[in-house]
Amino acid sequence: MDTLQDKGRYGFQHIGIPPCGYLDYLSAQLANVIVGNPKEAPIFELHFPASSFIFNEAHTICISGANFVPVLNDKSIALNTPIQVSKNDTLHFMQPLLGKTSYLSIKGNIDSSVWLNSKSDFSSQLKTNDQFKIIAWDGDNKINSDKTEKQESQQCNIDKIQKHIFNSNEIRFIPGPQWNDLTNESISNIIKQPFNTSLNSNRMGYTLKGPSLQLIEQKSYLSSAVTRGTMQLLPNGEIIVLMANHQTIGGYANIGQIILVDLPKLVQHKSELPFRFSITNVETAHSEYKQMQKCFS
Amino acid sequence: MIHYFKIMTKIFSNFNWKAQALGDHAIQFYVPEKMDQAMICEIKCFHDFIFSLQLKEIKDIIPSYHTLTLIYDIALMHEPIAFANDLIEKFSSGRKTEVANKEVNKIIEVPVCYDEIFGIDLISMSTKLSLSITEIIKIHTENIYQVYCLGFMPGFAYMGDVNIKIQTARHAQPRKNVSAGSVGIAGAQTGIYPMHSPGGWQIIGRTPLKIFDKDPAILSKFKMGDAVKFYPITRAEFESLNQNEL
Repeated sequence: MDTLQDKGRYGFQHIGIPPCGYLDYLSAQLANVIVGNPKEAPIFELHFPASSFIFNEAHTICISGANFVPVLNDKSIALNTPIQVSKNDTLHFMQPLLGKTSYLSIKGNIDSSVWLNSKSDFSSQLKTNDQFKIIAWDGDNKINSDKTEKQESQQCNIDKIQKHIFNSNEIRFIPGPQWNDLTNESISNIIKQPFNTSLNSNRMGYTLKGPSLQLIEQKSYLSSAVTRGTMQLLPNGEIIVLMANHQTIGGYANIGQIILVDLPKLVQHKSELPFRFSITNVETAHSEYKQMQKCFS
Repeated sequence: MIHYFKIMTKIFSNFNWKAQALGDHAIQFYVPEKMDQAMICEIKCFHDFIFSLQLKEIKDIIPSYHTLTLIYDIALMHEPIAFANDLIEKFSSGRKTEVANKEVNKIIEVPVCYDEIFGIDLISMSTKLSLSITEIIKIHTENIYQVYCLGFMPGFAYMGDVNIKIQTARHAQPRKNVSAGSVGIAGAQTGIYPMHSPGGWQIIGRTPLKIFDKDPAILSKFKMGDAVKFYPITRAEFESLNQNEL
């Protein structure tokens, strides 16, 4: 399912409207910054088998995130690099080599309808023959194109983000309100046993495969707000991690929330590769989030 | 026909708000007490208070049955728990001067066609509950319901409490498609599906009203704390009023 996404739709969760927005915000921001867009510009989010694109005029584009082996007119192109495309060029994606979610940025603003302060698709997706106009940024958002001196530091930032997302099997979380309702065995299993993402994953949530987890006693909880990264324990003992299109409130046990800086790792994690959970705290999560955001300033 | 009624509230100072971090970008306020109707009013007041401050750190304020959750921007937040405790402090000291019983809510009246063609679970509920369909409708339309919170999908309001005589657990296996406007029961809760969606609630009728409108000036028909009363309409009235896609 391919969609147009931006930073998401906030301010309406109290009436049940999911925030949406990029799944892997780090790769999306990276692709935007590389072509000179504001980091939170709208961008195409792609899943394999991904849509193909035909360009009606010359553009600067960039692909970041998952490597689906992008091919421009039958020639393979690099990721995380600005690419010049010409009129009638076609872009295809050949195979899911690394990661699960890819981003295609185009220099300029993608012209699409804004609903509640966001262009993020919620119930719709890209369809065959959809056409998008690319419009120049207005004065406020005009980006300084004098990038040459920055290239060296930008490469360093790309490496840092890529390494963070793709070279780690550790995903950190902060225990949630029902953490202490888990049995001791379940708590130790979460920390010590490997987990995999399952194929039953989409923009609403990722279901995990791992040891079966249990509550000390089966009880029902009053529904309460959840957020992206919330780890809910389903009645069958599996964890579902909520993603961008999540429901705004939920009634399953909230056993923890994956920290925002590590969420892209889970988004991109191939289902056949196991990962491990570890516990962290708010201070660490904030400092690492801010550290990573420095790559875009 | 417009009704007004008063929400009963306890003295506000009975509530003892606490704050906990919910991961790295949310704060959850909660009250140790049991949920009741005074609680809805309290949560609504706290929600409105925080909303009125228009704080730049806050991206969303989400009420539910017994909690109020803030989604914040990490880049702008320094000490989340200190920030949260400061809000509790400001709210608690400010409200001492308020008059507790002032809130008056209009009752939102919702027409429902309880025809079996829409109320597809009425027959099985009637058997299970040993009540006639007429009695189920009478009981469902007697109460004034409170909107506890919204969620599940845009505009879906969780309302309660349903009279124990017609409380029915949701289906073990959710239906793949429930029509927009469907009125359902799940235990002590009742609610309306704003759009076509999968769902497990026991469906007893359908409203012709549009419950969620994408127009930013309209959006959700209900908000937390609203009072709602259902009244029965005929099939012909339903057809003439219907605003939903069939």
